[in-house]
Formats: sequence, C-alpha cells, structure tokens
Amino acid sequence: MNEPTIVSFLCNWCSYEGADKAGGARLNYPANIRIVRVMCSGRVDPELVIQALKEGASGVLILGCHPGDCHYKKGNYKALRRAYLLKKTLKQLGIEEERVRLDWVAAGEGERFAEIANEMAETMKNLGPLELS
Amino acid sequence: MAERIGVYVCKCGPNIGDKVDVGTIVNKVRGIKDVAVAKSHNLLCSGDGLKFLKEEIKNEKLSRVVIAACTPKQYEVKFMRACEEAGLNPYLMQMTNIREQCAWVTPDKSAATEKAKSFVIAAINRVSLQESIEKKEIDIQPDVLVVGGGVAGLEACLSLAQKNRKVYLVEKSPCIGGLTARFEEVYPTMECAPCMIAPELQEVLQKENIETFTYSEIEEVVGSFGNFTVKVKKKARYVSEEACIGCDACFEPCPVEVSNEYDEGLSTRKAIYLPFAGSLPNVPVIDEDNCKRFKGEECSICKENCSFDAINFDDEDRIIEKDVGAIILATGSTLFDPKELPQYGYGKYDNVVTAMQLERLNASNGPTGGKIQLKNGKEPKSMAFVYCVGRKEKGYCSGICCMYSLTLAHLVKEKLPGVKMHNFYTDLCLPKKEHQKMYKEAVEKGIEFIRSGENVTVTDEGEKIIVGTNGKKISVDMVVLAPAVEPNVDTEKIAEVLDIPRDDQGFFAEEHTLMKPFATALEGVFVVGSCQGPKDIGDAVAQGGAAAGRILSKLIPGEKLELEAKVSEINEDLCSGCNICIVLCPYSAISRDTEKKISVVDETLCRGCGTCVSACPTGAARAKHFTKEQIFAEIKGVVR
Repeated sequence: MNEPTIVSFLCNWCSYEGADKAGGARLNYPANIRIVRVMCSGRVDPELVIQALKEGASGVLILGCHPGDCHYKKGNYKALRRAYLLKKTLKQLGIEEERVRLDWVAAGEGERFAEIANEMAETMKNLGPLELS
Repeated sequence: MAERIGVYVCKCGPNIGDKVDVGTIVNKVRGIKDVAVAKSHNLLCSGDGLKFLKEEIKNEKLSRVVIAACTPKQYEVKFMRACEEAGLNPYLMQMTNIREQCAWVTPDKSAATEKAKSFVIAAINRVSLQESIEKKEIDIQPDVLVVGGGVAGLEACLSLAQKNRKVYLVEKSPCIGGLTARFEEVYPTMECAPCMIAPELQEVLQKENIETFTYSEIEEVVGSFGNFTVKVKKKARYVSEEACIGCDACFEPCPVEVSNEYDEGLSTRKAIYLPFAGSLPNVPVIDEDNCKRFKGEECSICKENCSFDAINFDDEDRIIEKDVGAIILATGSTLFDPKELPQYGYGKYDNVVTAMQLERLNASNGPTGGKIQLKNGKEPKSMAFVYCVGRKEKGYCSGICCMYSLTLAHLVKEKLPGVKMHNFYTDLCLPKKEHQKMYKEAVEKGIEFIRSGENVTVTDEGEKIIVGTNGKKISVDMVVLAPAVEPNVDTEKIAEVLDIPRDDQGFFAEEHTLMKPFATALEGVFVVGSCQGPKDIGDAVAQGGAAAGRILSKLIPGEKLELEAKVSEINEDLCSGCNICIVLCPYSAISRDTEKKISVVDETLCRGCGTCVSACPTGAARAKHFTKEQIFAEIKGVVR
C-alpha cells in the first residue's frame, strides 16, 4: 500500500490554509500526498523539486496563491516562470512533465485542494514510480 | 554537546487519537538520533498541556522540540510562547500538522499512522537544523509626515498629534482643506462644508504638535519604517506667515489680474492673493509667474500697502529636513478634463460647465457670492446634468459623481425653485444608506432622470444648448457635466520619490484592496483618501483615521519596533554581486553595497518571502527558518 510519495510544497498564506480547509471539511485524498510548508511559492527553487525526486518522490506539487492574490505581491508569478523552465529541463532528462504540477489554491478552497491532490495521485499512479538511473 | 530533542504527539482528544496510532509513532521515533523524549498527550493546547510542555522542556533539558498536533495556523504562536517561557528559543520548535493534513483526510488508520509518522520524522530532521532567532528591535522616530491637507490628511493629523509625537503636514497649495473647503454644502447631510471643516482647519493650524508647511512639496525620502528622513521644499511665499495678519490690504492695489484656478477659472485674482475668501492659513502668496516684479518690472505696490512689513521679495525656496517614523499620503484627486471629449461641448459653449464650476457658482465664498447664473449674468431657467463624463474612457465608475450631481441638483432647486432640470445618466450609483433617499426626493421635486447611456451630444441653437440622446432632444440654458475622478498630476512624481507602485488607473496602489486598503507595498507608507481611488468625504476621513490608528499602535514614543524575524540574509563571501535578488525583491528590501559590490538585505523592509533565495545563483541568499538544508531535511522525512 506504500505508493511513492508526492511532495507538495504549499505556500503559507493560501494553499496551506486550503489544505487545512480540506481537513476541516473531512475530504479524503490519498495518504501519499506529503506536505512541506514554505512561506511563498516563489521560494520553491527548482533545486527543492529535484531534491524531492532524488529522495524518491514520484511527483511534486507546487501550490501557491491564485495569480493576483500573492501575499508577497508576485511570488507566484515567479514560481510560474520557474516551473515552466523546470518542466522543460525535466523533459530533456526523460522525466515526464506531469510529475511536476504547479497550481493555485486559495485559503478557502478545501475542495479544490482535495481535487488537485486526488488528480495528482491518480496521474502518478498511472505513470508509476520514477526510475532514476 | 549532544542535542536533546523532545517529541510530543497530541491526540487532540479523539480527533487524532482515534484516527492515528499515536503510540506506534511515539515508539518508532524514540530510537532516532538525538531524540531524548517522545511522548503523547491528550490535549497539548490546554492549560494542562502547556504546563506539561514547559515542565518537560525544563526537566528534560530539551534543546529542541517537535510538536505533532493541529495546524500551526491555530496554535503555533501559543506553543512558541510556551517554549519561550520555558527558556527555549521559539525557533527551535517545529510543529507538524497531523490533524487537518493527516488524521482528518485519511480514513484508513494504518495509512494515516504511516503518513503522520513521516511528518513527525520530517519535523525531527528539520528541527535538528533549525537555529535560534533573536527578536530584533529598532529605535524609532514617533513623528509622522502627512502629505496633503484635505479631509483625509486632516483627520490623520488630528488623530496622530499628541504628547511626544509631532506631525508635519505638507500641503502643495497655499491653503489647507482640500476640495472640501471649496464646496458649499455636502451630501448626504447637506451640511455647510466650510462650517464643517473650519474647526478642523483651525485646530490643525493651532495645535502645538502639528507643524504645517503650505505651498510645499516632498522632494526626497530615504529610510524605512520607523526611520525615514524627508526633504520638504517650502516654496517662497514672499509673505511672512509670522508677520502677516491677513488684513487683505495688499490685494486691492496689485495691478495684475489673472484667472483664478481656485474658482475653476470663473473669476480673476491678483498676483498676490488668497485662493478664496476664508481660505486658511489667512496669509496671501505672491504668484511669481504672474507678478510684475518677477518679470523684471519695478513694482512694489503690495509691499507699500502692507502695514506690517510682511512682504519680502527676497524670500527663497527652502529645503527643510525632518525625521519621521511613518508617512501618510493624502494627496487627493482631480476631475477628468471634459475637453478631451468634444461631444460634450465643454470649452466651446459658455454655458457648458463642470460640476466643480457649478460648485463654485453656488458657493457663498465663490465668484458670484453664491448666485447661480449664466455667462450673461441671467439666471438659468432650465438645466441639464450629464453624468458619467469620462467613465468609459477611464474604464471605471468613480462612484461619487451621481451623488455630487444629485446634491447640486437639490441645491440649485432650493435657490431657483422654478428651474427645469433633466439628468442624463448611464447607471445610477447610489450605494449608501442615505443615497436612495436623495434620489427619491429629487424625483419628487420634479427633477427628470433620463437613462441616456453614454450616447449624449451637446450642440447649440442660438442662445440655447441642445442635449441630444437616442433621438431625443432637450433644449436648456445650462449644461453641467459630471466628470470622472482621476489621480492628481503629481501622483506619479510622489510615487517615484517614495518608490511605491501605482495601479492601472494611476492612483497609488494599496497593498491589499480589502484587508490593507490604506497600506502600500512600502511598510510605513500609507495612502488615504482619494489619492488611492475615488472616494467621498466620509470614506476619506475613515481611511485617514484608520492609517493613523495603525501608526499609533506601531510607533509608540519611547518604545522599540519589533522586526520580522524570518527574514533573508546574504552571505558576503558567496555573493557575486549579480543583482538578480535586487530586481526580484517585491519590497525593495535588497540594495547594492557599492563598495563591497554585493547585495545587502535591509531587515526593516524584508518580509521573508524567500524569492531572492530561489533566484540566487551562488547560494548566498538564505531565508532564516526556511533554509535549503532545513527544507531538504524535511523532504527526506516525508519521502518514505
């Protein structure tokens, strides 16, 4: 039953609270969604994503505030630019783009968080564990 | 010395206790290196729980603590305080969320236990690398600069001025009171504006702890919240504010006559003048662009007529430097110029005026002493109000034009009960509790409302003006345009001086539209009143008071200001001086040390987002409490 984990970097202000809301509403999502809190999605350095994959995660979720809502003004846009580049790089390394997903979850969006978590878990199930040679 | 980590797993009654096998987790983590104690507790956040935690820290001589419980959003502050009280630096505690993000979302108990265990191990990994962070406090200057002497600025000044706190009010025009001082009666109370505002103006001018600089502008601002240094340019007035008693003897003999901008061009003034009757401070100013003397002619008539030796032609602009802890911008707004839209005939037909011009015609301190008249001096028998002038062009509803137009319609009807009035509107914006009533009363008085949309044209036919819309034509004597509210021309310059952003419409941008509507991206700089967006008097005053309240609670005379602890820092030895972080920082908190050729973080401005850390190519930038090593350790724990 131990499926490969999905490391989920959640921004402190919106997405982390969104995940808390999912809990408050007792919504279910797979236990392999493992959360790491960061202050802003703009803090998610590609290095952190690669480290998560190296440590054995099958996928990485990066969740931030919706565009325009960033607590630090534009950190999420910076995350978006980085994610775009990172996905291109991963593709060149033979790693499926779908293994990294950047999305937006607001503090009140518990359902959305659970939905994204379930979708991501499903995608990873289909892709199988990441084999790094 | 070896670390002693204490791990405490909260059952939260049945909330975690029934969903996660807490005993298994405690047993599993006991064997981990440096874990000195691992225990469960029924309810750590309770009084008993906190007492237990504090005793544990002391008795077990713990150097680090992990708390596995609910979301840190709920009780992290409480647990941090408990650590502090037990003598442990609160940043050596790590909370992990096994309730909202584990027990409550994972129905299978063994899966939930496995997940919770990974969270606890991740927290143990992380806490081992956490560092003490000491509270940073800085000395502050409690004095405040307020820019703009309209209602919002006045409210801020009066709320802030107190013992041990000075307020400096800088106003660009020669008088204070803003637009409100030039209105006759204001909605929704239909109160006499000069009567309403005069006591405030006098109090501001007379209060010991408020120093007012009229005819002045801010030139330069350096520093940050708590400690700004501001350079104010006080323009030469050529009339001594100390010596002048305001007797008016100097205006009459002045040979120059120019259009008076304070009466919207409806009257003339002299080169030495007061903006309008009763304007405060009651000290005239010499307009050097129009005074003969400044054009090289020999004229000193005003000086000859002054009995108090108050006129000084050698007066010069002065730069005054002040240290303040915070800055409130209350620089107001202006009206869209209808000349930009030729279909309204403004500037072409004498009797097409703006609402502000009608305000001045109606004002007892205005050019006609309050007589509403046409260019030829006759009373108008019919009038048309055209709303939403420039709304489409500006791209927003100003939200106050319907109400100021309705106010004027009521006021005109009072003075000239026989006048026929037609209002051409697009949408009526009557949002507040008193507004509908004013509209209803206007309808009852026989004032006509025509939903024209923006399709309105103004033409002439002999002495009459024809307002046309959707095939309909109405002939009137006078047309009053209600233009949109737009930013003052100096908004751009002030934004540059302070390095604060403006919004898409050109107003100063607030930090958060709903939650921080009077703060800006630069901590310690506030925007209140209509310089932040169109606003009526009540809303402007409320914002002025709100910003003042924020400052009162933060900048307390004699006390220090606590800074954000989790900030970024830059390692001098690793920084290559590439400047990437400087460009990315949303708070301009990073600057370049030109001597060392590296970036430096101003801890008074940094809010700890960590954007600079992810962008730094050499690893010189480091986010306290969210370092790469700490996050890596946490990742290692959750991936199991």
